[in-house]
Order: sequence, then structure tokens, then C-alpha cells
Amino acid sequence: MTEPLITARGLSLVAGRLTILNDISLAIHRGEIVTVIGPNGSGKTTLLKALLGLIRIKGEIVRRPGLRIGYVPQQYAPDPSLPMTVHRFLDLFAGHAAGCAALERVGIADAHDRQLATLSGGELARVLLARAIAAKPDLLVLDEPLSGVDISGEAALYHLIADLRDELSCGILLVSHDLHVVMGKTDRVVCLNHHICCQGAPHAVAQDPAFLELFGDRSDLKLYPHHHDHAHSPSGAAIHDH
Amino acid sequence: MIIDDFLWRAGLGASVLAAACGPIGCFILWRRMAYVGESVAHMGLLGAALGLLMGVNALLGTAALAVIAALVMARAADRTIPAGTFVGIVGHIGLALGFVVLSLMETVRTDLLGYLFGDVLALTDRDLIAIAAVGIVVLGVTAVIWKPLLRAAAGGPIAAAEGGSSPLAQTGFLILTAVLVAFGLKVVGALLIVALLIIPPAAARPLAKTPEAMAIRAAILGAAAAPLGLAASLGSDAPAGPCIVLAAGALFALTSIAAAISSSALAKKAR
Repeated sequence: MTEPLITARGLSLVAGRLTILNDISLAIHRGEIVTVIGPNGSGKTTLLKALLGLIRIKGEIVRRPGLRIGYVPQQYAPDPSLPMTVHRFLDLFAGHAAGCAALERVGIADAHDRQLATLSGGELARVLLARAIAAKPDLLVLDEPLSGVDISGEAALYHLIADLRDELSCGILLVSHDLHVVMGKTDRVVCLNHHICCQGAPHAVAQDPAFLELFGDRSDLKLYPHHHDHAHSPSGAAIHDH
Repeated sequence: MIIDDFLWRAGLGASVLAAACGPIGCFILWRRMAYVGESVAHMGLLGAALGLLMGVNALLGTAALAVIAALVMARAADRTIPAGTFVGIVGHIGLALGFVVLSLMETVRTDLLGYLFGDVLALTDRDLIAIAAVGIVVLGVTAVIWKPLLRAAAGGPIAAAEGGSSPLAQTGFLILTAVLVAFGLKVVGALLIVALLIIPPAAARPLAKTPEAMAIRAAILGAAAAPLGLAASLGSDAPAGPCIVLAAGALFALTSIAAAISSSALAKKAR
């Protein structure tokens, strides 16, 4: 494989007596979608922030020289005191034509002249995605990018994200807790719970004991053809009858 | 009516200073940093006291301590501890210490009120030239670092993650804020200088659809508040610094009410 876009080795972060990240090593290559999944508080966002250089952390992070990053944060609330239209917001980070094309691409071209602070959660999520792709990044980093987007829009946007990978031939690092939509489009799933529990292709990870321990049996995800051979207890655990 | 020289100086000095405060104040608003500005101003009072104590000058001491405080406090905002609380603690310690030091110095004890609320009517020609120079430099530098500052204000963590917010511009912004605070100490005092930084931009907000329009209108409203406040002070015999702040507050109330009326009129039209 070619040289990775970004490589992290031995990332560790301890806050007080709490280990937030423990010896994480990760590399992302051009053209692959890597999805980090994990329960709430498992360190997903912290890992992303560390990779982006937003927090200081023990370990080594090597970026390919000149790496262009497009970042969609999990939380972003434009301050209502700042008067700014959507297109002006995009212009700040990329050229005007690129911004318009990106708005079109995420299906929100009509928001061009709206004020940022008046957008709904779903509209804002699309605008943020448009902004991130407008500058043609090498690496797209998406932290729960579609919170606030309705279900049908969500599926369409995940298709779009997969298409963007091909169009921009960029690497994509995605954090999500929504296993349903994520797993199908992902090349590699990294299952995080302060340390990397398991990683690999979605169908392999879904059968990994570490994954099952964190998420339970998620054969409902329909990642591979299989026969449903068990029932579920009220707690969600699998009960095998043979 | 004869307008005395000191009134001209006061009006011009306060106007120029308030105009320079407008655009920088917009960033303080957009980035929700009002409490940092306030604490920098409080530390400025300690700077003035230390400057007098060491026999240099009050302005130099204020500027030095305000710059240091601004740089240190902005770093505190990056930590996970409640930054607002930390900044508030440091600022109030500075204010209290400054007050104590000033009150221990027999010769300046009478000027205490002046440091807290300003003494704009005492501006000299040299003060006026200094304020004019500061105003031009602040506005010029703000224009130069406008785009990276705006990117950071609009994008927050996005700009930082993608490398779009220049750390140099951020430092420049903090130094400009500190310099305005230092010169504002003479005009409206340590307790009220932040008002000149945040009230005119807030008053300008309903009048603007772009960040640039808001900055320009904030500068104009600030500059207008100075003569209005001075006139009110003259008419009522009330202290000038607080009257200038009150005038800015009146402008804020006016634009807020106008905005509320026009938006409810729009809502009626839509129905």
C-alpha cells in the first residue's frame, strides 16, 4: 500500500485516574473509509481531536507533508452574534465556485444566502460537510457528522460520503455510533473502548468476540448472509437454542 | 456656547478610542470572550498601580500587564478546567491588588476613582496624539489580520484542525485588546472599558448582515456614543466616563428595540 496520509503510534491519554486512550496505533490511507465505533465515553472524539492536533497527547502522529484536512466536528454552534451567510462561511475556507459546487453536491444549494445561525441541525450538518469538501481535502475527518439529519437523508448522505471518497480520492476517518448505516460503506472498522478492541473489515469485526461484548450480537445489520439461529433475552444477549 | 479645549480633547479622544474598540469588540462578542476582556482590564489596574509604584508611568505598566494577562488568559481558555472561572479569579485578584497598591500610595490615593471610572476630561494634547496613533494602528492591524481572525471566529475548532487560524493573528488580536484596554483606562476606567468593547458591537448586530458591516457599524456607534455621553455629562454634571458608557447603552437599547419591532412587523406580514 502507498504511504499513509496519517499515522498514529502509541497514543495514550490519562486524565487523573481515568485512562481515556491506551496505546492507540492507527494509519489511514488514501481511498479508504475508516470508521471508529465505540460506546459513549469510549474516547472516540478524543482520538479524533488528538489526530487533528487539537489536544496534546502522548505518542507520535505523523502527517504526510502538505496534508489537507477537511473536518466536520461533532458539535458546532455558530454564535448568533456573528452575522454570516452560508456562502460567506464557505468562501472563508475555499473559493466561491468550489463552495457553490459543494453545496450543490450535498443537496443544499438553496441555503446559499441563508444566515448560518438560522439553519436547522440537519441543514447545518450538510453545510459543514459541504464546507469540508469544498477545499478538496486529502483526508476527511467526520465526527458524528450526520446528527440532526433525518433518516432518509442520512442514508443518502452516507452514500454520498462513499462517493466523495472516489471523487476526491481522499481518505475518510469517520466516527459514529450508528452501526446500521456505517458498516455497509466502510472499508475498515476500528472498535474503540479506550483501547482498540478489534479492527478489520465490517463483516469480520461484527463476529469478533470483542465487538460482540461491546455491542451485542448485531446480526440485524445484515452485513453478510446468515441464518438467524438464536433468540434474545430481554437484556439483548443472545440465547442459543442448540 | 464656548466649547473648551478639554472638551474637544475628551470628545475626540473618546471617539477615536471607541471607534477602534468596535471591530476588535466584534471578535470579543463572536468568540464569547467578554469575561477575558474584563479580567484583562482588571489586571490593567494592577499594571497602572505597579507602574506608578516603580516610578515608570501608569500607562506603560497598564499596557505591559494587560498584554501579559491577555496572553496568559487566552492559554487558560485551552485547558479543561473552567476557563471562565480561572480567568475571573485572576482578574479579580489583579483588581483587588491594584486597588490595595494604589491606596497605599499617598500621592495617588485621590485618583482612585479616575482609574476605576476614567478621567477623560483630563486628557492632554499628548494623550490625544497617543490615542489617535493607537486608534490608527489598531484599526490597521485589525484589517490586516481580519481574515484569519474571522475564520477562527466562524469555524472555531474547524479552523484550528485544518490549520486555517494563524496563531500569529490570535496573538495579535490579544495584544490589540490589551492595548485598547490600557488606553481605555484613562478614558472610561478599568471597570468600564469592556463596555466600550462589547456594547457598540452588540448595538451594531441588528443593523448588519455581514461581519464587515457589523464591525464598521460598531466603530461608528462607538464613535457616536462618546460625544453623546459627554454632552449628557455636561448637562447633568455626572462623571464623563460612565455617561459615555450609558450613551452606548442607549444606542444598544435603540437598535434592539428597532430590531424587535421590525421582526414582529415582518412576522405579521408573513401571516
